[in-house]
Amino acid sequence: MTGYDTADPIHETYASAHREFGVDPSFWIRYFTPSPAADLFNDDALAESRGAWDSGGPYVGCISAPRQSRLSGSAAEGQADAQAFAAAMLTAYHAVGPLRLPSNGRLYCWLDQEYSTSLSSDYWNAWANYIAEYDFAGLGIYPLYPCLYCNPYSPYPNCSTIAKARGVNVPSAIWSSEPEPCGGPPGPSRWHPQKCGTVPTLLWQYGEQGACSYSSSVDLDLGGPGFVTANYCFHVHSRP
Amino acid sequence: MRSRRQENAVRSFGAGGGGFGPSRRDVLAGSIGAGALLALPDLGMGGRLGARPGKSGRAALRYAFLYGTPDPGPASSGSLVATMCPVPRTASPLAPVPVAIKLAAAPVSSPDLAVTALATVDMVHDGAKITLTLIDATSAAVAQQGSVTVTGVPRDANVLVTPVFAPGSPIVSLVLAITMPVGKRPVRKADPRTGSQATRWATTWASHHVLAYFDQSSGAITGPFHLSGEPPLALSTAAANSSDLLMWTTREPQPGDSAEIRAQASMSRLTVFPLGSGAARLSVQAPAPWPGGEPLVTLPAGDVARLVRGRDVQVCSARTGEVTELRIPAFSRGRAKPSAVTMQARPEGTVFMTKPGAGVAVIADPADSFRMTAQIQFPPPTSPLGAPWSKAVLSLAGDTCYVLGPAATGGLCAYDVGSGKLVGSYSEGRHYAGLYQLPSGTLLAVRPENPRLAFFSSGLSPIGTADTNLYVSAVF
Repeated sequence: MTGYDTADPIHETYASAHREFGVDPSFWIRYFTPSPAADLFNDDALAESRGAWDSGGPYVGCISAPRQSRLSGSAAEGQADAQAFAAAMLTAYHAVGPLRLPSNGRLYCWLDQEYSTSLSSDYWNAWANYIAEYDFAGLGIYPLYPCLYCNPYSPYPNCSTIAKARGVNVPSAIWSSEPEPCGGPPGPSRWHPQKCGTVPTLLWQYGEQGACSYSSSVDLDLGGPGFVTANYCFHVHSRP
Repeated sequence: MRSRRQENAVRSFGAGGGGFGPSRRDVLAGSIGAGALLALPDLGMGGRLGARPGKSGRAALRYAFLYGTPDPGPASSGSLVATMCPVPRTASPLAPVPVAIKLAAAPVSSPDLAVTALATVDMVHDGAKITLTLIDATSAAVAQQGSVTVTGVPRDANVLVTPVFAPGSPIVSLVLAITMPVGKRPVRKADPRTGSQATRWATTWASHHVLAYFDQSSGAITGPFHLSGEPPLALSTAAANSSDLLMWTTREPQPGDSAEIRAQASMSRLTVFPLGSGAARLSVQAPAPWPGGEPLVTLPAGDVARLVRGRDVQVCSARTGEVTELRIPAFSRGRAKPSAVTMQARPEGTVFMTKPGAGVAVIADPADSFRMTAQIQFPPPTSPLGAPWSKAVLSLAGDTCYVLGPAATGGLCAYDVGSGKLVGSYSEGRHYAGLYQLPSGTLLAVRPENPRLAFFSSGLSPIGTADTNLYVSAVF
C-alpha cells in the first residue's frame, strides 16, 4: 500500500499527486520541527489534516529532518531536537480535534538521516531516549517510538550506530531510501529495500521525486510485508 | 566565573603534521560534549608546506577547521581536527591533527573569519563549567579562553551551548540551554518487536536558558544570567548585532494549557537583550516557524534575516521585533524532499543563498526587499540534504558560482554569475558531499572515503588530496 512523503503541505500537494498516480495514498509522512528547510506540518496542522482527509489518505506519519551536521553531535543536541519534535507533534495533536493517536498506541517517529550524514551514538541515544520516554500530552502514555530513515548501505555511520543502541533506544524500524526502482503505486512486486543488520526495514522509499521524475511533489513509500504503515501514524478520524 | 587569555598555547602537529600546529596533548576536550575539530592550513594564502607559523609567519597561513565524527571507532560523537591544505599530489599525504574532541556543539566562526569559537562543557562538583575557546585562524592556536560555571546543574543534565558573534562588537554571547531531569516514573510500554508490555523507569525533563557574555577585549566573562519565564524548548535560534542579542525561543507545551494558549502554540518568541545583559529590553511574539537550525544573517543595519521553510526570508527588526516576510521566488517551487539551504552575507551588503535540492543559488539585495540580482541554476547534486550543507559557494570576487556536480557525474561545476552559464566542470567520477571555499580561493570538496579531502583551484584544476579520520559534517 503506497503512501507519500512530502516537504510541502498536504493540502497543496494531494491533488497533483492524485492526477499523476490516479489513486489515493494509504498514508502521508510529513515534516515536523526541527526541519529547518521544509514546510512544517505543525505550522498549520488544521489545513494539513483537512488535506490528508480530502486526499483519501487520512493517516499522517511524522518525520524530523534537523540540520544534518547536528546528527554528528552531542547528546544535548540530540535531546534538544527530540524535545522540539515531540512538542511539535503534541502541538499538532492539540490543534486538530480529529487527529488521533494510533489505536495500537504506537506512533512511529522518524529521524531523517541523509546519505552523506554521519550519526553519532551520543546524538542518537539522546534523541531516541527522549522520544521513547515522552509522556504524551501528560496522559501518562508513552506512544512515541524512535525510528530511523536512512540509506543503510551509505558509507557513513548509520546502521553501525544504531547497532550499539540498547533498550528503548533501539529504533523500532528502518525506513530505507534505497534502492529506487521508481514506478507508481502499488509499488514494486518484490520487497527488496536495503537493510541494517539489527533493525528491520519496515518502510521503503521506492520512488523519489527527483530521481524518478515525478511531477508532483511526493516521494512514494511502501510498507513491508505484514507492516501496515498507516497503523503507526496519526489518524485523521473525521474531516476537521 | 573565570577567564584567561592564552597565546601561543599550541605547538607542534602530531605525526605527519609537518611540524607545526597543535600537539595531541593540546587537544581541547570537554567531559560531556560530542563534536571534534581538525585544523587545516590554507597554504594557498602563500604559506609553504612545512613552514612553521611563528608570530612573524602567521600572516602567511590561514587554517580551516573540519568538524565531524571520527572513523574508525564507535562514532560516539563528533570531533574537530586540523590538517594541511592543499597537499601537492607529489607530496606524502599529511595527517590531519586534532584540535578538539567532545565539543558541546558545532564550532562557529567569527564574521571576519579571524577566530573560530569552540564550546566545551565539563561537569564539576558544583555544576557545569562551560568553556569558550577562540581558535586563531592564522595559527590554529588558542587565542583566548574563558569559562563560566553554572551552579546547581546535575551531572545527568544536558547542556547545549551556542556561541554567537556580534558583528562590530568584541562581545561573544553564549546561549546555554540546560535540560535537567525533574522526575522519574514507572511506565508500561510495548516492545515494538514482541508486542509484550514491560515496565521501566522514564525520566521527565525541563529546560531553561542561561546567557553569558565573553568580552574579547578584556577576556572577561559576564554572567551567568538565568532567564525566567515559561519553560522553553532547549532548541533556540540566536543572532547578534553590535548592540543586541536576538533570541528566538519556543514555549514547551504543557498538559494543562488552555485553548487560548494552544491556539498560539505555533508562534515563537523573540527576546532582545542588550549585549552583556540578562535583562530583556524587548520580548514579542514571533511568527512561525519555530526556531531550529534555519540560516541566519545579521544585516548591516542590525536587523536579522532568517531563511525559513527553505523558501522565505523573515526580516526581523532589532529595534521593534517587527517581522517582514519575503518570498524568494527562485526557492518557491515545491519539492518532495527538503534541501539543504544556506544564506551568507557578502562584503558589499548582498546575501548569497543556495538551495541545491532545487538546483538554484541566488544573490539577493536585503536593502531592496531581497530583490534577486543574480540566479544560477544547476543540476542537483547526489545528496542535496545530507551533511555538509554547503554544496555551492561563490568566488571571492562574486563572479563565479561553484557547485557540486550533477548526481549523474559527480565532480564540480563552475557557473558564470552574470550569465548563469556553465563555464567549467571537473569529474573523475567521484561524488562529493560538500564544497567549501577557503580564504585563498582554493576549493575544498569532501567525500565519504579517503582521500576525504580534495582541493581544487579556482579553475577547477585538482591541486591535491588529503586523508582524514573524520566524516566531515562541516568546515569552518
